[in-house]
Amino acid sequence: MNTGKKQNLFAKVWLKKSHTLLVLFIFMILLSGLSFTSNPVETGPYNLVYPANFGNRISIPADNPTTKQGVYLGRMLFYETRLSANNTLSCNSCHQQNKAFTDGLALSKGVDGVLTPRNSMSLANLLWARKFFWDGRANGLEEQAVTPLTNPHEMGQSLAISAQKLSKTATYPTLFKLVYGDEHITGDRIVKAISQFERTLISANSRYDQYQRGAYKPTDDELKGMELFNNGPQPEKGIRGANCGHCHGGPKTYMELFHNNGLDSLPKDSGIASFTHLQTDQGRFKVPTLRNIALTAPYMHDGRFKTLAEVVDHYSDHILESASLSTFLRGESNEVGGKSLKLLPIEKKQIIAFLNMLTDSTFINNPEFADPNSLTAKTKH
Amino acid sequence: MKKHLIIACLALLSFTAIPFITQAQTIKVSGEVTTPLTIDAAYLQKLAPTTVTRKDRDGKDHTYTGVILAEILKNAGVTLGPELKGENLTKYLQVEASDGYQVIFALAELDKSFTDRTIILADKVDGQPLAPGDGPYRIIVQDEKKPARCIKQVTAMQVHFVK
Repeated sequence: MNTGKKQNLFAKVWLKKSHTLLVLFIFMILLSGLSFTSNPVETGPYNLVYPANFGNRISIPADNPTTKQGVYLGRMLFYETRLSANNTLSCNSCHQQNKAFTDGLALSKGVDGVLTPRNSMSLANLLWARKFFWDGRANGLEEQAVTPLTNPHEMGQSLAISAQKLSKTATYPTLFKLVYGDEHITGDRIVKAISQFERTLISANSRYDQYQRGAYKPTDDELKGMELFNNGPQPEKGIRGANCGHCHGGPKTYMELFHNNGLDSLPKDSGIASFTHLQTDQGRFKVPTLRNIALTAPYMHDGRFKTLAEVVDHYSDHILESASLSTFLRGESNEVGGKSLKLLPIEKKQIIAFLNMLTDSTFINNPEFADPNSLTAKTKH
Repeated sequence: MKKHLIIACLALLSFTAIPFITQAQTIKVSGEVTTPLTIDAAYLQKLAPTTVTRKDRDGKDHTYTGVILAEILKNAGVTLGPELKGENLTKYLQVEASDGYQVIFALAELDKSFTDRTIILADKVDGQPLAPGDGPYRIIVQDEKKPARCIKQVTAMQVHFVK
């Protein structure tokens, strides 16, 4: 009898307990739903994920750590046309994700209809870049971002006016508060958030990346192309090569170098020399990343080459001599005593096959890099 | 004849197109130094010349003339000689070229009390100024098998502690 009573009591207590548990559980679900609708932006440090072979020589300024909320805001701003003088252009206008963040044009039109002097550069793995622009004049993303925003022939609006315009919107003051602690919008904060978003544009899943981690078996053409890409020509030893890897080598195909690559004997655009006034910097430009290179035509600082075939032809047969021509491009040949590389037509095709291995479709389709506005539009359908 | 004329025209054009090229390359020495330096031809002339013979990419021996790198660093107040001990052994020299290429040397690699190998900042090869693509200043590392650290077109040298 005694035990029966005890059991009964135990059952009652358990029932009560489970009741409270259930109520608590439902309450928690409701609460999480509530907080989700009122504050959809995740906060906290942003975890930048990349392969170990990319190395850790990355650049993040101490006064602009990467946070989830900062990246969210930066992405909104990257696609924000209010940042241009006539509300028509955003960073995205010249840096479109489906073209590996280029615009497919030789030169791009600014708010005033004037063309930019140089080709829009692709954005990928900027975390590892220290010098920006074709002439490397900007030290860091934050410094770089100011130019396209304010240049009268690009987005053409002072940072102060941009800050003012955003202050008048319903959403931005709250977002800035989430990122910087108060609703004050400044040019500096705009630029910092955009830079945070740009640091997340990591491309690490091309077929070349997959090959490097043993997850892809290249075709014969791709393998031969890779060999030509990496080898310097040594005709005496019977080794054929294009030596591309000398300046475009490594797992990132980016080494932060600046060279005159023999496009002109008398360059129209003097490149780095325009501010160093050094003869050796004449026509000297950044050696850009080759990541997603098949998607970023036209090529070179002035977009003069429409196809990769034209680019490879240039390096093989049309390098022009000048005092500033890179020594690595001078007198390199697959023929003994030859003056130019003299690649065979089949070899050019193989190199292009390898270059196509550098296309990262995961990167260009990553929803986290896409226009946040068009995404919500898509989910509404 | 026609060819000569074209070359003459091109030469003339090249002078008219780039009148603003007036600067001479210098080397900035900075970082963990007591006296930051800006090195130019006149500065190098004041220091004792040293020669190093080594093979270049052409496979032939060349005689390079320049100044022992450690002498320049001593003038900048870098901790070499008796001071190169303890935590100073975690310092390195980072050399940068105008094309962005960078190499490093541990300070101990440059110090006479650690090694007899001579590393110089050269401005001449076989008695002639270095070619524009190599110079005006190039590091020459005696006996190093690969020429990768014989960095050309040097523009900056910085001494840093390893972090």
